[in-house]
Amino acid sequence: MSRPAPLLPEGDAREAALFFVVCALCFLAALAALSARASYSAARGWTAEVEGQMTIRLQGEDRRGAAEALDIVQATEGVESARILSRDEVESLLEPSFGAGGLPAGLPMPLILDVYADPEYRDMDETLENRLADSGIGALVDTHSDWAGDVRRALGVVRLVALSTVLLLGATAVAVIAFATHAALLARRDIVEVLHLSGATDRFISRLFERRFWLLGLQAGGVGALFALGTTALVLSLASARGGRSGLLPQLSLDALDFLILVTTPIIAAIAARLAARMTVLRSLKGSL
Amino acid sequence: MRQGKREAMSDEAVRLDNVALRYDSAEDVLSGVDLILKPGSFTFLTGPSGAGKTSLLKLLYLALPPSRGDVSLLGRRVSALKRDQISALRRRIGVVFQEFRLLDHLTAYENAALPLRVQGLRASDYRADVEELLRWVGLGPRIDANPPQLSGGEQQRVAIARALVNKPDLLIADEPTGNVDPEMGSRLLRLFGELNRRLGTTVLIATHDLTLIREMNAPVLRLQHGLLVRDIEFGGEAV
Ligand SMILES: Nc1ncnc2c1ncn2[C@@H]1O[C@H](COP(=O)(O)OP(=O)(O)OP(=O)(O)O)[C@@H](O)[C@H]1O
Ligand SMILES: [Mg+2]
Repeated sequence: MSRPAPLLPEGDAREAALFFVVCALCFLAALAALSARASYSAARGWTAEVEGQMTIRLQGEDRRGAAEALDIVQATEGVESARILSRDEVESLLEPSFGAGGLPAGLPMPLILDVYADPEYRDMDETLENRLADSGIGALVDTHSDWAGDVRRALGVVRLVALSTVLLLGATAVAVIAFATHAALLARRDIVEVLHLSGATDRFISRLFERRFWLLGLQAGGVGALFALGTTALVLSLASARGGRSGLLPQLSLDALDFLILVTTPIIAAIAARLAARMTVLRSLKGSL
Repeated sequence: MRQGKREAMSDEAVRLDNVALRYDSAEDVLSGVDLILKPGSFTFLTGPSGAGKTSLLKLLYLALPPSRGDVSLLGRRVSALKRDQISALRRRIGVVFQEFRLLDHLTAYENAALPLRVQGLRASDYRADVEELLRWVGLGPRIDANPPQLSGGEQQRVAIARALVNKPDLLIADEPTGNVDPEMGSRLLRLFGELNRRLGTTVLIATHDLTLIREMNAPVLRLQHGLLVRDIEFGGEAV
């Protein structure tokens, strides 16, 4: 026995256009979601290196004072390592300012401590400055946390924009599908009325549309996600061809979580499509007898 | 015309109380129609074209609410029903639409089986019955054809099969023999009569076809100027 024909006739050109729109929205939403996700790992990667790191410039101290300062710093709770930079290291640090020839003869060589502290300890810079000052040592502590904070804030904005984009695209898709359901309902009004008069419940009729748009969401979302996957892979391969850096694009990658995003895109699209269709059908049927 | 005070609901398959219907225009198509059809009765509805026969039937197969007045079907007051209860009520009413209203993308068989399908019944449970019904109305060989490939008379018979497939308690037919030859017309009429006698189905048929009316000894109602009157020409019981 052959399967009975669907009660709603198969799609027409209008549905092909809808397919394209949903597909494009899913593509953009998946890309935005991937970017949001990448901004998290990028923030972690970029700030982890500098967090907890600081340099202390001693003012008006000689080598002996430096050794004393080093003892004080090392004895401070939360400090994991500290050492005095060698002359060569300081010169290479200063090279951008004074050139390869080293410091002009008349200038004293600054004494610099390189410190790494547990980032969990807040306000370590002030703690160190105060302890050194208590011992009569003038010191300027320079952390990189300002810079790390800037990076984090910038990535936070990227993430916010990406997440808002995902939401906006999702809402657009729902609106588009609600609109399309309405159009389909109008186009099939004769069929819907015959079904109704034959004793079909509102739920029965809405399920016909839900099924149609569920499948459309699944397929269009799947194609969109595949394109997003392809685009990401392309960007990654271009980046690795240029030496492993994806430039300003926050470290795009493709790991398990990214694949999860790509796999859920069509499912979310399908669920949204189904709910939009359901609400539209049930609401407009309410108006009839 | 009204029969006393409220009788037991089950004594009426159809009851219209002072029903009026008006479309968007200013004039009432129906104005103050009273009607009672007893369960198991067989009745004709006639009247000039444009008199409002189809409009009256639309109220009875629940396609429209009346602008005024009360409609009760199979013992239930329609205005008091919830949407799902209305769907359930419609399943007990078979309708042959004047313009058939078959679904072109479905086969004759699928069209006839539609009322069963929307109830969620399984095709394997009703296939044989539906095929037999289609054979009975003479559509055996055309069972897999789509309506556009059928003649007007064949389409009409598919529509009739669809109305009967559910073994309805109330059968409403709007010009059900308008597109078939007289022989097929009487045959279909006999089918309605048989349904009426054997299953006790209440039948209301709107028609212009006087020969058809004469064939059955059944009461005839006439719609005129928005009012329903008993037809004097044909005997029949009082409304
Ligand atoms: N949907 C509608 N909107 C507005 N006016 C309508 C509508 N349907 C019917 N009418 C009008 O109501 C009146 C009654 O129409 P109806 O179809 O009930 O007549 P009828 O008795 O069935 O006629 P016929 O014998 O030709 O089938 C007509 O004047 C018609 O123009
Ligand atoms: Mg009519």
